Amino acid sequence: MAVLLAGAWLVRDWRWSVVWQASPFLLRGLGVSWELAMLSAAIGLASGTLLAAARLYGHPMIRRTAAAYIEVIRSIPQIMIIFWIFFSVPPLTGTVMNAWPAALIALSIIASAYLAEVVRAGLLSVPRVHRESAYAAGLGGTTTFVHVILPQALRNMLPALIAHIVMIFKVTSLVYLIGLVDFFRATMLVNNRDYAPYPLYLTMALVYFFCNFFLSALIRWFDPKYTLSA
Amino acid sequence: MDWSVVWHYRAAILEGLVYTIAISLLAMIGSFVLGTLLGCLRMTHQSVLNEAINAYIEIVRNIPLIVKLFFLYYIAGLDAFPSGLLALVIHQSGYIADVITAGFRSVGAEQAEAGYTLGLARWQSFLYGLLPQVTRITLPPLTSQFIEVIKNSAVVMFVGVQELTFATQEISQMTLRSFEAATVATVIYGGLALAVAGGMNRIGRRLDWA
Repeated sequence: MAVLLAGAWLVRDWRWSVVWQASPFLLRGLGVSWELAMLSAAIGLASGTLLAAARLYGHPMIRRTAAAYIEVIRSIPQIMIIFWIFFSVPPLTGTVMNAWPAALIALSIIASAYLAEVVRAGLLSVPRVHRESAYAAGLGGTTTFVHVILPQALRNMLPALIAHIVMIFKVTSLVYLIGLVDFFRATMLVNNRDYAPYPLYLTMALVYFFCNFFLSALIRWFDPKYTLSA
Repeated sequence: MDWSVVWHYRAAILEGLVYTIAISLLAMIGSFVLGTLLGCLRMTHQSVLNEAINAYIEIVRNIPLIVKLFFLYYIAGLDAFPSGLLALVIHQSGYIADVITAGFRSVGAEQAEAGYTLGLARWQSFLYGLLPQVTRITLPPLTSQFIEVIKNSAVVMFVGVQELTFATQEISQMTLRSFEAATVATVIYGGLALAVAGGMNRIGRRLDWA
């Protein structure tokens, strides 16, 4: 047993040159991951804000629809949503979906539902009297929302927002499934060609760690007392 | 649309569901135990231990689940099911540890001190004073963590565990009825999430009564 383990340890090859040679390819994959995460977070935040506002202030029908959308998306696996967009919707509409738009749409849908809840919590954290005093000062509904409620809510929800962007960044690794060459798939492809799993996987874990650590360090910078619970 | 494929492949769907439930339940138990242990150990204020646990949580939270899964499967060389289970346990324990720590913080040290002044021992004060309160406070966030486990369990299909998502994808590839297959999986996942929420609610009511 000991001999076997020692043998396994010796046989492991740590060809860091593989990682070095493939680094332009890996970096391009990492670029795709970042692009996907940031774009879908931006789209998700915009549509999430609308959803949260609809869920809080909308007509009862709109309120229920928004709530249903948010809860359904949040209760099914993220992979299922990627499957839906890439495999299940195109046959219905008679179109062919490419990997990049499918990934972007799927991640934006995921981001919108999760971020809607973050925004909703932020909006609820603004005391009611602020809205009432804005009305008393003669501001209209939209003006109050955009200029009074939203700025305060944004400040309160910033840590939770970044925590969810970390989540979205991690979810980008799942688009591996539909063939988009993000950082995860890039690493896999290099591994399939050169077979050096130890240095490659370790690099992959380290890169993901530092990208997300950088993001979550921003949270601590904004709010030292904040503990992640996304 | 042709829903008969769903009925035709009911055995495969059922088997996938069994795998999903099995791996999710085991992962819930495992990550709850590990997360609670880490969360409680963090309350002992041993600086070295604290640093180690913080580092663990930080590493676990910042690396995607699929990366952990591939590490366990391809590098550690575990079988599909154990590597999936272990990846889910490790992944969620990082989040549950924070939930538990936050629960303890919200109850506050004065509750423990009140226990000491009443003449309770450290463990008595912990067991009868803090724990019931912490359990009640952490129940809602734990519920969402457990639902998270079910959702994350879909990721283990990447190493070939034939759980619900895997099964329905197989069906959709064999029959080209991907809409029906995806709908079935979505509905089942929604039902599982509701079941967990309902179950935790019952536990919560039981605790309130006690």
